[in-house]
Amino acid sequence: MSIAGQAVTIAAFQSPLLNSPLAIVVVLSLVVGLVMVVVFGYTSDQKAIGVAKDQLKAHLLAVRLYRDQIPVVMGSYGKILRGTGRYLKLAFKPLLYVIIPITLLIAQIDRYLGQAPIPVNAPFLLTVQLDGNAGLNDVTLGLPPEITITAPPVHIPAAHEIVWRLAGSKEGKYEVKVAAAGQSATKCVCVGGDLPRLSIVRLRGRFWRRMFSSAEPALPENSPMESISINYQDRNIEIAGYGMNWIWLFFILSMIVGFIFKELLGIQI
Amino acid sequence: MKRSCGADTLVRLLAIKSRRRCGRPSAPRERMHFAGKSARATRVLLIAIIFLPALAHAYAGPGAGFAVLSSFWAIFVAFLYSFYALMTWPFRQLFRFIRRRNAYGKATFERAVILGFDGMDPDLADRFMNEGRLPNLAKLRDKGTFSKLRTTFPAISPVAWSTFMTGVNPGKHNIYDFLARDTSNYLPFLSSAEIKGPKRHIKIGKYSIPFGKTQIKGMRKGTPFWHWLGNAGIFSSVIRVPVTFPPEKFQGVLLSGMCVPDLKGSQGTFCLCTTRASGDKFREGGVRVPIERKNGVCHSYIPGPDSPLAEKAGTELRVNFEIRPEPGLKSARFVVGSEKFALKVGEYSEWIPAEFKAGLGFTAHGICRFYLKELSPEVEIYVTPVNIDPGHPDLPISHPVTYSIYLAKLFGSYATLGLAEDTWALNEHVLDDDAFLAQAYGNHEDRERMLFDALDKTKQGLCTCVFDTTDRVQHMFWRYLEEDHPAARDVPHSQHPPVIQELYECMDRLIGRVMEKIDDDTLLMVISDHGFKSFARCLNLNAWLHQNGYLTLKDGKTESGDWFEDVDWSRTRAYTMGLNGLYLNIKGREKQGIVDAVEVEALKAELQQKLNGLVDPASGAVGITGVFIADNVYRGPYTENSPDLIVGYGAGYRASWDSVMGKVTGQVFEDNIKAWSGDHCIDPRLVPGVLFSSHKFIAEKPAIVDVAPTILKLFGLALPAHFDGKPWTLAAKAH
Repeated sequence: MSIAGQAVTIAAFQSPLLNSPLAIVVVLSLVVGLVMVVVFGYTSDQKAIGVAKDQLKAHLLAVRLYRDQIPVVMGSYGKILRGTGRYLKLAFKPLLYVIIPITLLIAQIDRYLGQAPIPVNAPFLLTVQLDGNAGLNDVTLGLPPEITITAPPVHIPAAHEIVWRLAGSKEGKYEVKVAAAGQSATKCVCVGGDLPRLSIVRLRGRFWRRMFSSAEPALPENSPMESISINYQDRNIEIAGYGMNWIWLFFILSMIVGFIFKELLGIQI
Repeated sequence: MKRSCGADTLVRLLAIKSRRRCGRPSAPRERMHFAGKSARATRVLLIAIIFLPALAHAYAGPGAGFAVLSSFWAIFVAFLYSFYALMTWPFRQLFRFIRRRNAYGKATFERAVILGFDGMDPDLADRFMNEGRLPNLAKLRDKGTFSKLRTTFPAISPVAWSTFMTGVNPGKHNIYDFLARDTSNYLPFLSSAEIKGPKRHIKIGKYSIPFGKTQIKGMRKGTPFWHWLGNAGIFSSVIRVPVTFPPEKFQGVLLSGMCVPDLKGSQGTFCLCTTRASGDKFREGGVRVPIERKNGVCHSYIPGPDSPLAEKAGTELRVNFEIRPEPGLKSARFVVGSEKFALKVGEYSEWIPAEFKAGLGFTAHGICRFYLKELSPEVEIYVTPVNIDPGHPDLPISHPVTYSIYLAKLFGSYATLGLAEDTWALNEHVLDDDAFLAQAYGNHEDRERMLFDALDKTKQGLCTCVFDTTDRVQHMFWRYLEEDHPAARDVPHSQHPPVIQELYECMDRLIGRVMEKIDDDTLLMVISDHGFKSFARCLNLNAWLHQNGYLTLKDGKTESGDWFEDVDWSRTRAYTMGLNGLYLNIKGREKQGIVDAVEVEALKAELQQKLNGLVDPASGAVGITGVFIADNVYRGPYTENSPDLIVGYGAGYRASWDSVMGKVTGQVFEDNIKAWSGDHCIDPRLVPGVLFSSHKFIAEKPAIVDVAPTILKLFGLALPAHFDGKPWTLAAKAH
C-alpha cells in the first residue's frame, strides 16, 4: 500500500468519529462499495457482461419453460455452465484492477479490526520459532516491568518452538526482547486500548506472509529466529447480539452498497 | 499459533482456486527482487494475491462478490430446475400413461412446422417459382403440395388467422374485421381484445391511485388447435400468430402477435420529433412533437401512455431525450434516460428502453427505436411506436409470461406491437422506402431467430410462426409491381425497385434454412391467410350510400367528419365502417335504428343487387364483384355481431381510407395515391392464400379452415364436432 494510502487509513482510525469498529466497517463498506462499482463499470465491457448475464437468465428460463423435454433441459444446463464461465471470464479483467488496492486495504484494516489487544492482566502466549533445534534451550526473554511471565516456557522441539505464557498489568504498547544464539530481536505487544494497530507476528523473510499478517519490520536475515508471534484473540463485532468478524460484515454491507449503487449508476456487475 | 481472522473462511467460500494451497504447513521462503523487473513483478503479484490463502484478499469488493454469487446462484438454480425436471419426468410420463395419453402413439409425424407467410400470393409465388427465383418453394411444390388456399369472408388477417387456429368460420370465433362497431354510439372498437383499467381508484392528494388489476378480455372465441394438442400432451411453440392477445394458458409456449397494442394502448402511434413548425396533424397513426434547440443541444420527448395516477384522462406521460449534433452534422449523440448512443443520419438505433414514470413507483416499461432523419437545416427524428418491453412486460404478451422475457434475454429486445412495421409512417412520408424496409427486415430477422430457437427446442409437437413481412411489404410496395399505379406515377417504371421479388426470395431462403433443420418425420407447411392484389382505386361506400339515399347527413352538410360526425341517424338506413362490413341501421339493435325487422331482408337484397357489379365510371371496371349476405356465409353463436353484408371489392379496388373511418365524402371513386398500394380486403374469391407442404396432400379446394382439423388428424386426435374445416388426406409418407 502506498504511503499516502497508509496515512489515510491511519488518519481514519484516529478520527474521533470512527472509534467504533462497527462505524468503521459501515463507512468503509460505503466507500469501497461505491468506488469498486464505479471502477468495475469503467474497466469492464459492460455490454458484453450484460449480454452474458441475459444469456444465463435465458438458459435458466429455458430449463423452466421446456421442463418436459429432457434434451432441452440438459442442453440448457450445459449452456448455463458455459455461460457462467464466459461471465466469470468477463468479470475477471475488471476484478484485476480492483483486486490489488482492495487486498492491500483489507490487509491494513485487518491490522486494526481483525484482532483485539490483550486485555490487562489476561494471559497470552508468545511463541518463538527457530530455524532449528540448536539453541532452543538457550532462548531468553527480556520483558518490560508491565509484562510478567505467568508460567515456565514450553519447548516444542518438533516445531522448533518455545512458548511463554505472559500477562500485562497495565494498558500500553510494549517491546519484548527475545535473545537467541547471541542475537536479539524485539516484538511489539499491545495490552488494552480500543483500536491499536496490531501485529500478530514478526517474521524473517516471507515477504507475502509479512504483507498480509505482520505490521512490523522483518527479522534480520541472519537471525536464528523464523518468527515471533502473539496469540491475539479474534475481534467480533456485535450486531443484534450476534458477533461476527469484521470481514463478514464488510462482505455483506459492501455487497448491499454495491447492489444499490450499481442500480443507481446503471452498472452491470 | 492460530492464524488470524475469519477471512480464511471467506477464502474458502469465495476463492475456489486458493483451496489448492489451504492447509499447506508453511510457505517456502519467497524472495522477490523488484528492481528493474516491474512488469514481471506485477504479474507475479497479481497471481500471488489471487492464489495466496492468507486473509480476505479473495474478496475483492462487491464486484467479486456479485460475480461469484451470481455464478453460483445461476448454477444452483439451474441444477435445481434440472434435477426437478429429471426426477419428475418419469412420473409425468406415468401420469400420462395412466390417463391413456400416449401423446404420439397415433401421430403420423413427430413434429409439424407451420410457417405462416401473411399475405403470400399464390399467383406471384407461381410466377417467381417459374422464373427460378424460389428454388426451395419449388422443391416443396415438386415433392409435396402447392395449392391455392381458400380464405375467409372477409379476407382480412385477424379473421383468417382466427379461422386458421380454431378451425371454424367467423360466426363461431367472433372476429369479422380489425374493428367492430358499438351499436349504442356507432363508434368502433378493437374486435380482438378489450382492455379496461381498474374499476376503483383511491384519491390521495393530487393522485388517483388505481386499485385492482387491469382487465384484459380476449374477444376471439373458439379454441385454438394447439390447446387440443396440449390436452393430449403434445407440446407447441406458437410465435406471433395474429389474434393471440391476450395469451391463453395451454401446454406450450406462445408469443402474441397482431393485435398486441403499444404502450399507449393504440395499434401503433409513431412520433415525429421535428424543429419544423407545422400545424398539420397526421391522418392516423402518428403524432408530431416539437424539438427545442438551446445552445446547440436539442431537447424533445417521447409521448407515452396516460398517467394512471392522474385524475383527468389524457394526462400524458413523457420520456425526455436530448440530441447533441456532432460537428459536420452527419451524426448525433442521443441521451434517453440512462441510455447514450450515437446515430448517423439515416440510421436506426437499437431498441432503447423508455420508462414512463407516473410517480409513487408507477412506471410503464416500453422500448422504441430512433431513426435520425435529418440534422441540417432542420432536425427530424422518427421514433417508432413505444412497444411493450418484452423483458419487462406490463401487459401479458406471452404464455407463460416468462416466454417473452426468455426471448428478450436470449436475443435482446424485439418488437412486440401487433402491427410492428410502421406502415402509417411510410404512408405519411415520415419514413422513406429504405427506412421502412430496414425496419421491416429488422423485425423479420428477430422473428427468424425466434423461429429457429423454437425449432431447436421443439423436437416433438407443433412449431408455428407467422411472418408479417410478406403482408406489410406487399401492402406498401405493390405500386412498383405495376406500370401505372397512381401511387408510383412519379417514378418511371424502369426505375421501380424489385422489392416484392426480393421479399419472396428472402422468404424462400428462410424456407431453405428451415428445410435443413427438419427430417422426414417432420411435416412442413407454408401457408398464407390470403393473397394480394393491387389497390389503385378507392371506393367510398358511405359516399355511395349517401348519394343513393341510404345514408343522410344533417341538413346543410355535404360531407361528414370521421366516425359519422354529422350523419342524421334518424334518416339513415345503412352505413359502413371498417374494411368490408356493411351495416343496416336496424331498429332495436342500433341505438337510433330506423329499419324495421320486416324490412331487413328486403333491404339487404336491394343493396346486394345495387352494389354487386358497381362500375367505376372513370375506367369502366367493376369496383364491387360480390356482395354477400352474412346469414349465408356465417353460422354459429356469434353471427349477431357480424356485419349484415360483406362487400367484395374488385381487383384494384378497396374501401377508401375515409370510408373505413366512417366518413362520408363527395366522391365515390378516387385514386389511391398512398404508399399503401396493394391490398387483400376485397372479394375473398380473388385473393386465396397459398399452401405449400413437404408431404403431398389430397384435398379438393383446400381452405384455411381445414388446417386445424388436418393437424389434429395427423397427430391422431379426434376432431371436435363443431369444426367447420375438413382434414386433408396425406397421399403417402415416404420412409
